[in-house]
Amino acid sequence: MPSMNEEKRYWRSLAEHATSPQQDEARPEFEAPLAPPTQQERRHFLKLSAASVALAGAAGCRWQEDHLLPHTQQPEGVVPGIPRYFMTAMELGGAGVGLKVKSYDGRPIKIDGNPAHPDSLGGSDARHQAAVLGLYDPDRSRGFSTLAEGGRKPASENEFRGFAREHFSALQAQKGRGLAVLAGESSSPSLADMKARWQARFPEARWFEYEPVSSPNERLGSRLAFGKVVRTRLILEKAKVIVSLDADILGSRPDSLALARAWSKGRQPEAGKMSRSYVFESSLSETGAVADHRFSLRAEHIKPLAAYLDAELSRRLAAPAALGAAQSAPSAKFLEDPELRKLLTAMIADLAIQPGASVVVVGATQPPEVHALVHRINAVLRNVGTTVQYLEGLDSSEPSAPEALRTLNEEIASGRVQTLLVLDSNPVYTAPGDIDFSAALAKVPRTICASLYVDETASLCSWHVPLAHFLEAWGDVRASDGTISIQQPLIAPLYGGKSAIEILAMLSGDELPWGLQIVQRALAPVVGNAAADPRLWRKSLHDGIVPGTAAAPDHPVLRPIASFEYAGGALSGLEAEPGQLELVLAPDPKIYDGRFANNGWLMELPDWATKLTWDNALLVSPKTAQVLGVTDSTLVTLSMETESVSVPVLVAPGQATGSVKLYLGYGRTAGGSVAGRALAGGSVHGEWDDQASVGVNAYRLRSKRLWDFARGANVKPTTEKYRMATTQDKHTIDRIGKFGTDDRLPMLVREASLTEYEEHPDFVKHAVHHPPLLSLWKDPVKYEGHRWGMSIDLNKCTGCSNCVVACQAENNVPTVGKDRVYMGREMHWLRIDRYFKGDPEQPEVVNQPIPCQQCEHAPCEQVCPVGATSHSHEGLNDMTYNRCIGTRYCSNNCPYKVRKFNFFNFHEDLKEEKNKVQQMVYNPEVTVRFRGVMEKCTYCVQRIQEGKFRASRENRPLRDGEVTTACQDSCPTQAIVFGDLNDPNSQVSQRKANQRDYSLLEELNVRPRTTYLALVRNPNPELG
Amino acid sequence: MAAVGDLQEWQRESGAADAPAEPKDYRAWQTESRGDNPFARITDTVIRIVETPKPPRAWYIALTISLCWVACFLVAVSHLVWNGIGIWGNNNPVGWAWDIVNFVFWVGIGHAGTLISAILFLLRQQWRTVINRAAEAMTIFAVICALMFPALHIGRPWLPYWMLPIPNQMDMWPQFRSPLDWDVFAVSTYFTVSLVFWFMGLVPDLASIRDRADTTGRRLIYGILALGWRGSARQWHRYERAYLILAALSTPLVLSVHSVVSFDFATAQLPGWHTTIFPPYFVAGAIFSGFAMVNTLLIPARQFFGLKGLIEMRHLEQMNKIILATGTMVGYSYAMEFFIAWYGASPYEQFTFINRAFGPYAWAYWTMVSCNVIFPQLFWFRKVRTNIAAMMVLCVLVNVGMWFERFVIIATSISRDFLPSAWGYYVPTKWDFITFLGTFGIFFTLFLLFCRFLPMIATAEVKAIHPAAHGH
Repeated sequence: MPSMNEEKRYWRSLAEHATSPQQDEARPEFEAPLAPPTQQERRHFLKLSAASVALAGAAGCRWQEDHLLPHTQQPEGVVPGIPRYFMTAMELGGAGVGLKVKSYDGRPIKIDGNPAHPDSLGGSDARHQAAVLGLYDPDRSRGFSTLAEGGRKPASENEFRGFAREHFSALQAQKGRGLAVLAGESSSPSLADMKARWQARFPEARWFEYEPVSSPNERLGSRLAFGKVVRTRLILEKAKVIVSLDADILGSRPDSLALARAWSKGRQPEAGKMSRSYVFESSLSETGAVADHRFSLRAEHIKPLAAYLDAELSRRLAAPAALGAAQSAPSAKFLEDPELRKLLTAMIADLAIQPGASVVVVGATQPPEVHALVHRINAVLRNVGTTVQYLEGLDSSEPSAPEALRTLNEEIASGRVQTLLVLDSNPVYTAPGDIDFSAALAKVPRTICASLYVDETASLCSWHVPLAHFLEAWGDVRASDGTISIQQPLIAPLYGGKSAIEILAMLSGDELPWGLQIVQRALAPVVGNAAADPRLWRKSLHDGIVPGTAAAPDHPVLRPIASFEYAGGALSGLEAEPGQLELVLAPDPKIYDGRFANNGWLMELPDWATKLTWDNALLVSPKTAQVLGVTDSTLVTLSMETESVSVPVLVAPGQATGSVKLYLGYGRTAGGSVAGRALAGGSVHGEWDDQASVGVNAYRLRSKRLWDFARGANVKPTTEKYRMATTQDKHTIDRIGKFGTDDRLPMLVREASLTEYEEHPDFVKHAVHHPPLLSLWKDPVKYEGHRWGMSIDLNKCTGCSNCVVACQAENNVPTVGKDRVYMGREMHWLRIDRYFKGDPEQPEVVNQPIPCQQCEHAPCEQVCPVGATSHSHEGLNDMTYNRCIGTRYCSNNCPYKVRKFNFFNFHEDLKEEKNKVQQMVYNPEVTVRFRGVMEKCTYCVQRIQEGKFRASRENRPLRDGEVTTACQDSCPTQAIVFGDLNDPNSQVSQRKANQRDYSLLEELNVRPRTTYLALVRNPNPELG
Repeated sequence: MAAVGDLQEWQRESGAADAPAEPKDYRAWQTESRGDNPFARITDTVIRIVETPKPPRAWYIALTISLCWVACFLVAVSHLVWNGIGIWGNNNPVGWAWDIVNFVFWVGIGHAGTLISAILFLLRQQWRTVINRAAEAMTIFAVICALMFPALHIGRPWLPYWMLPIPNQMDMWPQFRSPLDWDVFAVSTYFTVSLVFWFMGLVPDLASIRDRADTTGRRLIYGILALGWRGSARQWHRYERAYLILAALSTPLVLSVHSVVSFDFATAQLPGWHTTIFPPYFVAGAIFSGFAMVNTLLIPARQFFGLKGLIEMRHLEQMNKIILATGTMVGYSYAMEFFIAWYGASPYEQFTFINRAFGPYAWAYWTMVSCNVIFPQLFWFRKVRTNIAAMMVLCVLVNVGMWFERFVIIATSISRDFLPSAWGYYVPTKWDFITFLGTFGIFFTLFLLFCRFLPMIATAEVKAIHPAAHGH
């Protein structure tokens, strides 16, 4: 009724009052939501579950959408409430890891590694564990949208299809001129297939592959060394000496889970198998933490170091002439450091006497020539064929050099791009500081962005297509050795998302529109015609790998490596040079390049080394911090060339002097309610509240010159302080605290060198002296059935913290947010304690996972006034949440402080309509705790019960290893073993019989059931 | 000597220093006392406070401030019950902080009254008679404040009754190995006995008010409260017997209640809590703080209500002597804790004490030592002991120190226990402050109402030790 409103109209804000009625009419009374409201209610839920059951049953086809109805008849083999497991795979940065997903009534709720997959072997990392939370993220894009004035306008799929049909058939007519695709790196055969078809249909279209975190140098190095791309496979089990040059082999490679397993097999002192590792790195890594010798060295120093190794080893081992001339030993200042020289001399001797039994690895970010040289060093050491194997290069495509984005930017600038399709990439956020990609996007008339979120890029594109999560879509991935896994959907797309291959099919008018068909077509060469003979297809789906798809071994011939030239500070000394600091930009160990930034589990996961949550900080070594005049939480201005950011400092022992590190992936402006979204002004997110960004965007510092690391950074301290939430050493430890820690550390984490261990295999018994531990009373429980226990091998723990997220996923552990972590209220049932030893500049590191110790004489049980925590007949220390009134006395009396209290209702936000979908992530077997009650590790009692029921139904005793805890499942190195102590043959009983077995704080006589195997390091005896 | 003249004379005889001239404001309010019988004068001095139509302006001001704090307390508690105890600063190593600190603090305050009434009664310390009524009232009010914390500090504050042995359909029963349950019984028993003891002592005075009442309302209310007291010899006889029995019953309670409270800590295995010295140390500390609080309350009360004639300087001086004695005992305990930590050779225990004195909470520790051990030493000087301003300052400091003692014991021990990875630091929030100050609001409100509506001094007992009673 506009006529009635002419004189007086209601207005909602002064801004609106100021606008003319004409303008106002164009706008709806209420801002239309970006997406249709979520209706995760019964009916929809049943639809979803029916869908997933339909696809589950027969390697199903979710595209038979006429089946999306509740079951009227129970499908055979499907029992409500009984979880089912399916194999799938997750790809990250061009490499896939096979996963096993637990689906509960059609909802995927828990992810573990696929034991058959070569890059997992059953282990899984934090990102895999947290993927279910990402799936049910309420911030995900809920539908198609277009760019309209004043924000985004929701659109229907049909509208988009209409646009696409018209536009792309026109493009096809002009052979795709003016069309460009920007995609992430991918190993998927189907995507490669679709790409080939796309290029056939649009021959003049351009295809750019841009990955903000990429390792082209490995491939470039392989070309330099061999003239072709080969893949390097490390056989760490066979390696007696491992040398890492800035390479985090146990933590940051696509095959790290498998490498960690292989490494752990060589860390069994009782079996006489102890490898020795030397790690030279710019920043503390998991590999460095478990190293026998570690030296903090700037990344720029690795190149001359490699040359020095090559020179010395070639000389000592008389390198064959066929390998070409060795590098000449560089006259670098840092190599004159007596400590380093001593270490290198001993290490070279160690390498030289064990030919063929060592492995030298270099970090992905090192320049190509260093990669080439390391191939040569391995050849000189005769490691090729034993510990180092080469596989045929599978990557025929050009490496996605950082140049891809630059080229695209130039293409756009010169007006050659009229249509841009961005496939699962977020260049507006991840572009380096010297490329303004949002400006570039504005120059392209038609931009289509397919993404999981309406992120920085999608919010500026003329069309946004919701992308399906990997758990919602068909696809395929290749492992690092080339093995293909089929990515199988576990649930119908929650928000009508499409996978990348489906979008390509839709836009190019492919005859096969559905993901399943596309995958089957692409994989036909390896699985045959799935429609005609589905046996191999089904087997591949069931096993999670397509048999026989691993790459064949290759025996490339090494070419002579050109003599190195050194630039910048490569030959400088070890000391810090303010104003010429080395800046290292690396993907975050948790949220990677920022794509997982909206995942609360990952955000709240303490960084394994710094224990920092909810932020990135500039990591600075203690000595460098002193030189710069900064301390923990000083806010500094970090500048590199013309760009600068304001970032807090975190003094990190183990950081190389003069090298500072900042993780990428933070500072999102349209990341979501967890990661942060634009504050006032960026009203592209209709229904959502603004949220300050978490951390600092380090991409802004990237430039042509600085990609992974470069020298020339300047740090200018300010007087401001920034509050960071860490879960350990919450406040800078004073001298008293440090004294106390150092004093008791040898009792807490018991450690010996291999020689000491061989001389005194029972060394753990002598760490603490205490009177005989007698009991005041007889054990009231006989433990006639099971007697559960756990053993954690500190020799195998790398501190990776995957188990922490695994526990969180299994046990519905809430996240609490930065402020509460700061106060000390994080809820993790399992934490990894990390202690440093020795020189802060060159520290030794130990990691100790602390779950509930399930004490036999549990101090918590004695003091609960209402009997809410009690001993079970199987030795567990049980919590009865219903009974708990929350006195917190149990936590006070717990010497391990593993009990966590619900200070608030941490599930309050789920009451909001838009967040209801997140309830689907909960494990229905585990109570969601209310505020005011205490909670703690239960040894995954729900799994114990499930295993016991199953065994009892099948009328057989429970087998050892049948019941596993979530932390145990995720552990890549199998450091955690759980089982029945009444069974003398169980793995856990055998571990407890090990002489290295000890209880934490045994002198308190609480008799913990979780015990530890002491750490044994294998330092070079020459370095005494 | 025949019936001696007036109160002034008795004061002179008993050697009390001359009371300073009373401020003019209050003199007007004090009506002329009737009769010249010294007993009548005592009754009159005490009971006219109840009868007077208008209390002094200071009373109104104090009550208004107290009621404001009560309102704040109610807001804090509503917020707490609605949102959870996360509004406080407690965290994961520091599960107990101000909540339990305040509980122990108030229970400690609540020690003086019954000690004065019961133990000093049994020990025939006659000087107690002028202060015992107010001290007992203070005990009751302090225990009321204390009892709120165990109920409020729990995560689900609507369920504190689960700690009581109430037969129920849920088949739940308290877990009696927990010292928290011992606490429930110790404190509630103490509260009940103290309340009965106090009320019984009030009966003859309530009857006096009833007898003197000139309004129906007062006659009715005090008549009911007086339980039909007629003052007959038989009633007096029964009364004395009952009083003696209750005194005998209360005596062990005075010692037991804080011993049991100390078990909360002593039986835990946390270094800094796990100490056998705690029961006597806690009891000494409780008497120390209780006496300081009695002085803190009585000094202004005698000033404003014109009771200097009854509550004399020598009484206050006696109190100060006890404060000095118990303060020294507390100091001895502090020293002994350090000695045992060294002698016991447990590295955790040793660290806890070094950390207490020199760690992040050293400021709290040294506040405690100064207020509890160093400053009370001034009471060795008679001049300080008998100086109103000095004793007021010192008694307030003792109360501050004793609050810090509990904070030091509870929070510093727990913030750094066995595993350094789990160490934390506790910082109170504004709600911690409001809740704590709110309990002071309740305490002072109750005390002010007591001063106005109940006889502040046990007249019968004062009369019994008056020279006039022994003059024949």
